[in-house]
Amino acid sequence: MTVTEQEITDYVARVRAALADLPPAVRDELTEDLAEHLAEVAAEADGSLVERLGEPEAYAAELRGAAGVGAAGGDRRFSRRFGAVGDRLRARVRRWDAQLGPPLGYATASEFLRLLNPAWWVVRGYLAAMLVTVITTGGSFGLLPSLNGSELAGLVLLGGSVLASIWLGHRTAGLSRPKRRLLLAGHAVLVVFALVGLVSVDDRARWNDYGGYEPISVDGRYDHIRDVFVYDSEGRLVQNARLFDQNGDPIRLGYPDCPDLRDPHGTGNPLLRAYPYCPDAAPFAPRPTVTAPGPVPPPLPTASGEPTATPAPTATPAPTATPATSAPPAPTGSASPTPASPSAGPTG
Amino acid sequence: MDTTQLLKGVLDLAVLAVLRDEDGYGYDILRRLREAGLDEVGDASVYGTLRRLFAAGLLTTYVVPSEAGPHRKYYALNAAGRDQLTRSGKLWRSFATTMDALLDDRGLAA
Repeated sequence: MTVTEQEITDYVARVRAALADLPPAVRDELTEDLAEHLAEVAAEADGSLVERLGEPEAYAAELRGAAGVGAAGGDRRFSRRFGAVGDRLRARVRRWDAQLGPPLGYATASEFLRLLNPAWWVVRGYLAAMLVTVITTGGSFGLLPSLNGSELAGLVLLGGSVLASIWLGHRTAGLSRPKRRLLLAGHAVLVVFALVGLVSVDDRARWNDYGGYEPISVDGRYDHIRDVFVYDSEGRLVQNARLFDQNGDPIRLGYPDCPDLRDPHGTGNPLLRAYPYCPDAAPFAPRPTVTAPGPVPPPLPTASGEPTATPAPTATPAPTATPATSAPPAPTGSASPTPASPSAGPTG
Repeated sequence: MDTTQLLKGVLDLAVLAVLRDEDGYGYDILRRLREAGLDEVGDASVYGTLRRLFAAGLLTTYVVPSEAGPHRKYYALNAAGRDQLTRSGKLWRSFATTMDALLDDRGLAA
């Protein structure tokens, strides 16, 4: 035996290189036994492989012809194989078609589906109108189409596209093959669009269901707010306050997490509850009656070191400012430069 | 038209036929074909045909170890292969008969 292992390996490598245009699976299948086969050939007679079998490239060309994979990249072989797979698949679908029909009350499932065809045409028209809406408005969309922000134009568009879709539905059978493919591709786009749109609409619907506390004209900076306390110019806590934006829409902030005293059984709509939800949790103690001590009414509670004579219940440097006394504490030790009136002394 | 062209159409049938009575390995099958008179058949053609018939489910294979030299991969007809051989054989005979008759009618000598 004059042929070495190396020679066989090289020969196989060159044959494979000459078949490089074939799909890898086909090439592998074609050449997986080639080394063993060449070893058999080598064992039969003397002489190098090239002397007896010719150049690897010629061998590859002959192999191609015999195995039925044309020079055109093995398409023929592939389509034949996929053709067989397709036939099997079609047979299976036909079987399912016949099996699923009776439970639906029809001879075959496809007979039932055919009845739904016009419904699909209407849905297709609607989806096309929605797609136009999304393209023209740039992403945001609801459930009804609109054209350049006009709902009326959107409805006209909807009617037109549904009618066009029905018209097209009646003529699909007569379309040429390339046109039908185009239609199929369009359907694929619409179905993907419909799924994406459905998910996004569903998302928003869920969010709205979630207690309805979606903040209006408020961004994430206010997410941490649980309650709202309104003080009047006298520093008194305003009960039953309601907030509205410029459109008259109620501004919903926070969430009522303590029972409503006026509605202890919680039968009322929690959305209609006024601020503050929990008056007891007010950050600044309510002062129902104020004996205004100074010439200036107590300002709104601020955290500033405003050098007024009457520190409102704030975090001012006044050391005794916080207790809920009925009268403001004396500005002892505060840096109040104003001449505090003597009447502002502690009244008990 | 040369023999190679003709062979393309009938190599399947020829390979199935030489495997009908006895299993064989690649080179062995080539030798049988050549001994039967198909001198021009090439090794790659036989190897490619065997791969294709195997992939089509008409052949089974088994490996026989040998003391001297490489292992040999034997090919054998299975039921589908025998079936195919019968059908293709009939087809060829009827085709050949038709061609013979056609040529005879026009006085061409064999």
